[in-house]
Amino acid sequence: MGGKEDPTANGSPKSESMAGKKASPPDLLSSISLKSLKLKTKQQELLLRVSILGLVYVLAFIARLFSVLRYESMIHEFDPYFNYRTTLFLTEKGFYEFWNWFDSESWYPLGRIIGGTLYPGLMVTAALIYWTLRFLRFFVHIREVCVLTAPFFASNTTLVAYFFGKEIWDTGAGLVAAALIAICPGYISRSVAGSYDNEAVAIFALLLTFYLFVKAVKTGSLSWALASAFGYFYMVSAWGGYVFIINLIPLYVLVLLITARYSLRLYVAYNCMYILGMLLAMQIRFVGFQHVQSGEHMGAMGVFLLMQVFYFLDWVKHQLNDTKLFQTFLRITVTSAILVGGIALGVGTASGYISPWTGRFYSLLDPTYAKDHIPIIASVSEHQPTAWSSFMFDYHILLFLFPAGLYFCFKRLSDATIFIVMYGLTSLYFAGVMVRLILVATPAVCLISAIAVSATVKNLTSLLRTKQKVPQTGSTKGAGSSKSSSKVTLDQSQPFQKNGAIALLVGVFYLLSRYAIHCTWVTSEAYSSPSIVLAARGAHGNRIIFDDYREAYYWLRQNTPTDAKVMSWWDYGYQITAMGNRTVIVDNNTWNNTHIATVGRAMSSYEDEAYDIMRSLDVNYVLVVFGGVTGYSSDDINKFLWMVRIGGGVYPVIKEPDYLVNGEFRVDKGASPKMLNCLMYKLCYYRFGELVTEYGKPTGYDRARGVEIGNKDIKLEHLEEAYTTSNWIVRIYRVKPPTNRL
Amino acid sequence: MADHKNLPHHFLLSLSLLSILAVSQPDRTKDLVSLRSSSESGVIRLKNDTVSKFITSVPTPRPYSLIIFFNSIDLNSKTLQELRAEFGFASSSFLANNNNRSDVANKLFFCEIDSSDSEAFHLFAVQSLPAMCLVDPLMENPQDQEVKIDEYDFDGTAESVAEFVERRTNFTVGPINRPPLLSKPQISVIAALLVISTPFLIRKVLKGETFLHDTRVWLYGAVLVYFFSVSGIMHNIIKSVPMFFRDEEDSNKLVFFYEGPGYQLWGEGLSVGFLYNLVGLLLAYVTSALVRVRNVNEQRVVMMLAMAISLLAVKKVVYLDNWKTGYQIQTYWPSSWH
Repeated sequence: MGGKEDPTANGSPKSESMAGKKASPPDLLSSISLKSLKLKTKQQELLLRVSILGLVYVLAFIARLFSVLRYESMIHEFDPYFNYRTTLFLTEKGFYEFWNWFDSESWYPLGRIIGGTLYPGLMVTAALIYWTLRFLRFFVHIREVCVLTAPFFASNTTLVAYFFGKEIWDTGAGLVAAALIAICPGYISRSVAGSYDNEAVAIFALLLTFYLFVKAVKTGSLSWALASAFGYFYMVSAWGGYVFIINLIPLYVLVLLITARYSLRLYVAYNCMYILGMLLAMQIRFVGFQHVQSGEHMGAMGVFLLMQVFYFLDWVKHQLNDTKLFQTFLRITVTSAILVGGIALGVGTASGYISPWTGRFYSLLDPTYAKDHIPIIASVSEHQPTAWSSFMFDYHILLFLFPAGLYFCFKRLSDATIFIVMYGLTSLYFAGVMVRLILVATPAVCLISAIAVSATVKNLTSLLRTKQKVPQTGSTKGAGSSKSSSKVTLDQSQPFQKNGAIALLVGVFYLLSRYAIHCTWVTSEAYSSPSIVLAARGAHGNRIIFDDYREAYYWLRQNTPTDAKVMSWWDYGYQITAMGNRTVIVDNNTWNNTHIATVGRAMSSYEDEAYDIMRSLDVNYVLVVFGGVTGYSSDDINKFLWMVRIGGGVYPVIKEPDYLVNGEFRVDKGASPKMLNCLMYKLCYYRFGELVTEYGKPTGYDRARGVEIGNKDIKLEHLEEAYTTSNWIVRIYRVKPPTNRL
Repeated sequence: MADHKNLPHHFLLSLSLLSILAVSQPDRTKDLVSLRSSSESGVIRLKNDTVSKFITSVPTPRPYSLIIFFNSIDLNSKTLQELRAEFGFASSSFLANNNNRSDVANKLFFCEIDSSDSEAFHLFAVQSLPAMCLVDPLMENPQDQEVKIDEYDFDGTAESVAEFVERRTNFTVGPINRPPLLSKPQISVIAALLVISTPFLIRKVLKGETFLHDTRVWLYGAVLVYFFSVSGIMHNIIKSVPMFFRDEEDSNKLVFFYEGPGYQLWGEGLSVGFLYNLVGLLLAYVTSALVRVRNVNEQRVVMMLAMAISLLAVKKVVYLDNWKTGYQIQTYWPSSWH
């Protein structure tokens, strides 16, 4: 769909050429109709551009509605449930209540200060949209607003991409970039309707900040710099990924300084953006003084100081006429500046004023770090390194266009293209380290690929057109945006070129149409699943829906005491609090590793040991997710080794080898005795030994792992089964009170 | 044990007399030394016949100890081969550290038995791999459990092998020397390249046009970084994947492409990354550099070639991606078109 927009992106020069021929008699008819419309060439172009952008805007929105059509209007995955819950709270209780909210329903018995530990941008945005709609007398439910926030912001991102593309190359590239990013799977994966997560808003904010900053550098105007500072503020309020901005922009400035591109424009843009952005960012409580104290932000401060040195040197050079004197002065200043900076950094780090890098940031720079040291980061599937197929899946044809785009950028180096190249390369490197960061790289990949498409198509079409009107080359030269490229090719008018150009154009459009097909298909099949409702194909190709999660959470809500505490692995914490409205021990905000490790230890201990842990945490119910009946593979048994690792990281009594046989994780008869009798195994496979899951297989055949389980005779002593959902995906157990000691 | 002590001694006396007549024992040690010197990292590959020659048919006390690693090439296990490499490091370090002390070096030999020599393999009743055992001079029954090295003693590093050897025998292995990252021929090649390129570099620097001033170098660098990222090299480094697998059924067949998303081998990432860059740079070349070529025929040929190559490369990558992820991309036509 998006690919079809692209040819029209280059329609503008064509219409110009038509208008250029107005005077000649054969075109009389068309000129009359044009005249009756009373549109000049520029107006036509504008009309085309605006209508294309409008279509792309709508397209970006509707491509993300597959999930609503396929399933229903609901919140997806895990984190969005927390966001939804807090947004609900915000709209009901107001901003100050929200800001000061202490949530006692999660992290029992510790609780969590919500206002101080979240990025409120998303919730505030959704609440503002909601209030605006209410004000305009559209009475929608807050859930619908939340579901559609991501597509709405994706549409806005296409606009920003257009302006950005226009800034770094030309309007054609801008339009192509908008069309590409509208349907790029790398972005859609995080912004379908229902994925109400920080990233949905953050990518818009990220691109906006970058665009405004590039604009500020180009113009040197304070207002653009101010705007980019506010863009940065929005980004900080929305997502922890703002660290990328506050490191990339200084790096970019540094590169400009090194390549002797220092100018007053740069000075104004960076200083204003940094100082104001910093002051604004510190208003977000979760960031606060980290912005001036943590190691991740030190680069920006260093570059800020360096800018002052540059400015100072410029001034001194202006004052001193003696070059020799200036050289000496330069040497002394640079050395002492570096020395002072180094000493300050050393003292700051040693005294604890500057905190060292966080694990996530560190694992980006030294990718093997997390694997060895931080299991809680390494355990998350979206923190895994990226294989080539994931890149192909998310970018498709853009991967082929990217090197060409790089080439064109280097052919026409400017402050803006330097920025986009740096953004593209750094973000792609990070995307290689962590799958989820493909998202951050997507805008850059789309922009650079758009440059490739636009430059190629423009070169080729101008070739075609010069062929047609060799005698009137003069008029083409004046044709607005295609000046530079047509100049190169004007003097070439061999007959062959036309055919070649047509063939190449057809090739490019074929590729783009494949891209459109790929994106649409991937969006509908791979990225629109809410993951809280599972779908599978039956034996006859029919669609089977497993709605066990919601069944279980509503059961909790209806059938347990309101103050019941539910223990589960942290993945389900947000959903239990949001949908089940019950207190949980740990949830997806993994701020307290020890607490999570305690749960991991309970899950991997024998039942009586686990009982003591659960008693100490006042646990009333235990919830496990089990896919043995349905063949659902991301269940707790498959996550179990991570529970062991995280538990063992804090409590050395838990040892991973105890659960393995020859380094292999097994659940069948050959499994280790500790595995066969730990709490998690018992809770998942309780009564499973009586069940026939598949025709022709023995009882207790686990379909997720394809084996017959090893312990079919499970007796529970301290827990009892409370509820098992219709497809056995969620199983809830009640913790019995201690037996009467009389 | 005590009851049996006398019996072997009598038996031993008579046996040793016999054996002195047949083959003198120092010869065996000599054989082992020569075998060791001809094998890589000093690990002697024991076969069915050599096992009986050096272990079963030699009367106790043997003049040497053997530490045996049980290997299986056919199993294609990466972890097993890593352990084998560590075992090799322990062996070579032992040799290097006791180089001039033949009284020590010739008393302990590092050996391996492959599962293809099934007779020798079964002699030790090895049930599962990885397994190692120590044949000390007094060992009688190879199936004895005491012979085996406990799983807990061996955590997969050469250091733990060394530690075990030091605990159970009187020999010291000493510090483990792992081979450097670059071997000697590699270093010499790099050095040669450097030497050859130095004059060119010096000329450039003198002229003031170092490669850092050239945008083309930066372009190549950028393309390289791109290649590095999208071909999944970070994935390969973090997960330390091998270049290729051996086929589980046929050990001569190599598997370069791994089916299933989320994991890849070195070979496939590199080849696909290469294709990305090939097509992209061809496109850039055709649209901006080729148009300046004056010769029409040349243009024509290059363009056709470029288009054919690009088409093939794109088709190949899309096919591979569909195969790897298991997705089949289909078009959604309006329902009235069916």
